[in-house]
Amino acid sequence: MNAIELSHIHKSFPGFAIRDLSLTVPSGTICGLVGENGAGKSTTIRLLMNALRPDAGVAKVLGVDAASPEFRAVKEDVGVVLDEAYYPETLTAVQVGKVMAGTYKRWDQGTYEGYLRRFDLPEKKPFKDFSRGMKMKLAIAVALSHQPKLLILDEATSGLDPIVRDEVLEIFNEFTREEDHSILISSHILSDLEKLCDYIAFLHQGQLLFCDEKDRLLETYGVFVGTAEQLESLREEAVLGREEAHGYGGVRALVRREEVPAGLELERASVEDIILFMVKGARK
Amino acid sequence: MKALIQKDFYVLWKQMKIFILVIFLLSVVNSVFNVVFLVVWCSMLPYTAMAYDERSHWDELAAMMPYSKRDVVLSKYVLGWLCMAAAGLLCLAARMVLGHFLESEVDVSIVLTSLCLGVISLDVTLPAVMRFGVERGRMIFMVVIFGAALGAGFVLDAVDIPSIPVPVMALLPLAAVAATAVSIPLSMKLYQVN
Repeated sequence: MNAIELSHIHKSFPGFAIRDLSLTVPSGTICGLVGENGAGKSTTIRLLMNALRPDAGVAKVLGVDAASPEFRAVKEDVGVVLDEAYYPETLTAVQVGKVMAGTYKRWDQGTYEGYLRRFDLPEKKPFKDFSRGMKMKLAIAVALSHQPKLLILDEATSGLDPIVRDEVLEIFNEFTREEDHSILISSHILSDLEKLCDYIAFLHQGQLLFCDEKDRLLETYGVFVGTAEQLESLREEAVLGREEAHGYGGVRALVRREEVPAGLELERASVEDIILFMVKGARK
Repeated sequence: MKALIQKDFYVLWKQMKIFILVIFLLSVVNSVFNVVFLVVWCSMLPYTAMAYDERSHWDELAAMMPYSKRDVVLSKYVLGWLCMAAAGLLCLAARMVLGHFLESEVDVSIVLTSLCLGVISLDVTLPAVMRFGVERGRMIFMVVIFGAALGAGFVLDAVDIPSIPVPVMALLPLAAVAATAVSIPLSMKLYQVN
């Protein structure tokens, strides 16, 4: 079964539109949703959770159509962390726990309290006095405490210091050790996604440029570093994006490994290289 | 829905303490105006909770949780009713306590009339706030709530409520019920996550 299925989704706003978005996240996998600010990541998440109705197309989560009346029950199985959407500022972590206990049927108070301790979150401090990192940690604790099968995380690791970020990524990894557990995570920190994800989906100006297995992406692309003349000698289809290399007047370019001569030495492309070069390529 | 009311209760608790104090202070002066004003003023408390929600974008987060649109909308009405009922009861209690010292009483019919007016105020203003949010809906509910509270307070101060014929008095609860029956479906239709 697929954890997430978006097929041919269209949604228009003044000045922005999601166009023909089709995306599948198989159950048991972690998919990273990448895109610049305003690319449509948060809109995609809202469409998935039926907080927005698409103009056309179908969104399914855990096999259920998001527009169907049965979808409310599916929300019990989905833990969500949103960027810039929090609990009311006067609430404390203890009060949030009590409200969530009345919200989710399978709320596990012991798990929640365990995460509060693990994240070193104060129980009685009002939410307004939390740092951004603490807010995200509380949201993650809530998302993990009602026995979800799917986590949808919008910029959940931003604002966390590197040590906590690493710990949180480990928690997400632990979560997907269960066969039917899946994650959709959007982040600007591409190194986190490279570490965590099985799939990478790249949204650009409301359109999905690609959704592929991370390992396949890393095998498919390489980074060429050399002179402009050497790059010009390659086939046009081989080059996806280029930039002037600083310091010695050369160039760096993202290339398809299978389109370049076998002997040509290429550097390993990171997910960040692939995304940045593709955005530059798309702008040209 | 219970969880949403519980959340609003936590949000409003500090404000409620101030309301309770104001009720006791105003109850020293035995005035129909005070009772009506306090009860109708309490009907505004859901908007305070909604303002906190807006500031933290709670509605966007709530849209990801297993709440129905009905839960979200109805919880605001129920919160308003509970706040008004609590204010009415506190007014009565305060007068009962203070009545021993000040030799005056408050009539239950005045509290009931105030509750009806508070319910109608909520019914008139909540659909607009559901649609436009507290910030933009603020002007609408300020005009309606304060207009209703001040107008009704002064009128009722001038009129001896217990002397109004019962059939006329019975119209007010009926009007409150009718307004609620129209207002809730309208709010459901107009509600949107901002």
